[in-house]
Amino acid sequence: MKKVGTPEYDLSDKLKYHVSALSTAAKEMALPLNITTHYPRERKRQPDCFRGYMLFDPERCISCFQCSFVCPANAIWMKDAPSGRYYPTVDYGKCIFCHFCIDSCPGGALKTTKIHDVAYKTMDEMFTSTEEMIEPPEIIREDVGVVDYVIDKEDLSLKRTKEKDALIVDVEPSQGVPMVSVCVDRGSCLACKVCDRICESGAVSSVVEEATMTVKMAIDAEKCTGCGLCVKECSMQILRLVRK
Amino acid sequence: MATVTETGKGEAEWEVKIPEKKLKDRLFFENLKAMVIDTQMCSRCLTCVSICPSELIVNEEDIVDFPNYEEKCLDCGACVRVCPRYDYKPKSGLGDYMEFTAGKSKRFKGQDGAMGTEFIFSAIDMGLIDRGLFVDRDEQWRTSVFHVRGKEQLEKLPLGGTKYVFADILPELKKAVMFSKVGVGVVGTPCMVSGIRKLQEEFPVFREKVKLVVGLFCTENFHYNEVSKYLIEKGVDFSKLIKTDIMKGKFVATMTDDEVKFKVSQLTGILPSGCNVCTDFTAVESDVSVGSVGSVAGFSTTVVRTEAGKEIWDYIKKMGNAEVGEGKVEELDFLINHKKEREKNIKQ
Ligand SMILES: Cc1cc2nc3c(=O)[nH]c(=O)nc-3n(C[C@H](O)[C@H](O)[C@H](O)COP(=O)(O)OP(=O)(O)OC[C@H]3O[C@@H](n4cnc5c(N)ncnc54)[C@H](O)[C@@H]3O)c2cc1C
Ligand code: SF4
Ligand code: SF4
Ligand code: SF4
Ligand code: SF4
Repeated sequence: MKKVGTPEYDLSDKLKYHVSALSTAAKEMALPLNITTHYPRERKRQPDCFRGYMLFDPERCISCFQCSFVCPANAIWMKDAPSGRYYPTVDYGKCIFCHFCIDSCPGGALKTTKIHDVAYKTMDEMFTSTEEMIEPPEIIREDVGVVDYVIDKEDLSLKRTKEKDALIVDVEPSQGVPMVSVCVDRGSCLACKVCDRICESGAVSSVVEEATMTVKMAIDAEKCTGCGLCVKECSMQILRLVRK
Repeated sequence: MATVTETGKGEAEWEVKIPEKKLKDRLFFENLKAMVIDTQMCSRCLTCVSICPSELIVNEEDIVDFPNYEEKCLDCGACVRVCPRYDYKPKSGLGDYMEFTAGKSKRFKGQDGAMGTEFIFSAIDMGLIDRGLFVDRDEQWRTSVFHVRGKEQLEKLPLGGTKYVFADILPELKKAVMFSKVGVGVVGTPCMVSGIRKLQEEFPVFREKVKLVVGLFCTENFHYNEVSKYLIEKGVDFSKLIKTDIMKGKFVATMTDDEVKFKVSQLTGILPSGCNVCTDFTAVESDVSVGSVGSVAGFSTTVVRTEAGKEIWDYIKKMGNAEVGEGKVEELDFLINHKKEREKNIKQ
């Protein structure tokens, strides 16, 4: 890695760079399209991990709220869907495109796209409902070519190809860090079974043994998806997510 | 009973013992209701409300209630595990103590010697706790509970001083226990102190986090609606009310420009049924009890009962935070006996 310090230029350096700047300007005049991408007629090719507009797949969502918890901009609001489940909505007026939500989603329900040019007329429009997140937004594409930035030693040049870049990419959904729920204070458990009721993957079991008046609680690490719903719902706050 | 796992890694399997039901085939809430609420034994300490994972509440009439219990009670039994009146073992007398004394805080103003306040803040100064719970009030003397973390917060609020109205301290204590990193200190009436001890008996998290329980001497407390109606009839203007007190058998409401005084016995009609069966005057299960009888005006009688209480009391003396006075045990006899007599009201 190159360390960048304050450059110390003497007079000859200064002259040299001035000349270089003038010649670049002259080149651009004689042979345009050397320095900038002519958006929207062409687009810069973005990497697949580009942090753009997000898409949502309700089939993969387990309503764990992780995305809304992790969002540093408070841009995600979980809204109740007609199915009784809670799904994310994104306020692009707030979103800072950190994509922590995508990284934190245990089910890979959120994914990125290379779309970065959605136009809104009002702030209200920037509030994007769950339904609007399922399909890519409508954008007007005038591009006929893509531009690759080729960095050659110190210089940068543009490489143009006549093709349309796919803005929806097929990336493997993020797996996150595999987590599992455990009980850190068994003695403080109420045996209220809220964790059992809330768990969508049947990982928690609570079996009442009438004869001894005990409730046998267990979390099956194999079935637990690490969504953290039980951790959030436990009124005694004795459940924690730990690495699997 | 299992304790907190030391590894911090947690467990995937555990067992919880649930209590026997007195009324078999009925929900635990129905048990609580039948044994405690309907028998008029409930002290309104709200221990049950604090622990209930569902919707056990105190209703508009200031009574413990679960409007939709058939559907919403999870039948976990937590409420009956912690209710001090479910298997009521009435306590009375002066209880065990290490030191019977009196104090007057040099730093704070309170009802008497502000020792309630002093104990909490000295514990904060010692680093023993990181928050204390105080009863706050609004203009109309409705109570709310305030989490205090530093002295500055006291300046603007009437947090010291006695409000003769029930306060929802225990549900707030549960929250405080969940938030606190170090420990929590709390001041409460004897019924609440008993509730806290039950919570500690049952749940390690309360044993670990509740570090200081200051009990108040208490003959009775009142439901807001009833006492406020009575006081207004007596000519008390809440907007001018600055202090309420019970002294030498008289209720005294001090206003900015006036004072209303009458015999406490006149309040018998609105004496809550739970107080009518309460025999504990001195909060025998506390770490320290404070009260007004038993010492001269301006001092709080201070009964240091446990190691935890003693440690803070020694710190208060060492730092010179309070003036030490004299406590007179025999002055408590009358009220201790007065409350012990209520044993006959208990029908179980
Ligand atoms: C309902 C009630 C009845 C009482 N009856 C008697 C009595 O008969 N004889 C007697 O000697 N003393 C009685 N006391 C205690 C007395 O009034 C003083 O609270 C006590 O002497 C402590 O005074 P202090 O100046 O040391 O406390 P302060 O520093 O003034 O602190 C008082 C503490 O009491 C708390 N508090 C105020 N109102 C309530 C409430 N409604 N419920 C729970 N906590 C509250 C405050 O949060 C504060 O922590 C009673 C107190 C209460 C709340
Ligand atoms: S047990 Fe696992 S899968 Fe089930 S709710 Fe808890 S974290 Fe989610
Ligand atoms: S939600 Fe919490 S308190 Fe209730 S049974 Fe599960 S672990 Fe125990
Ligand atoms: S949910 Fe549990 S604590 Fe609440 S009322 Fe029912 S049995 Fe009692
Ligand atoms: S005495 Fe306390 S714990 Fe028992 S029912 Fe009444 S408020 Fe609840």
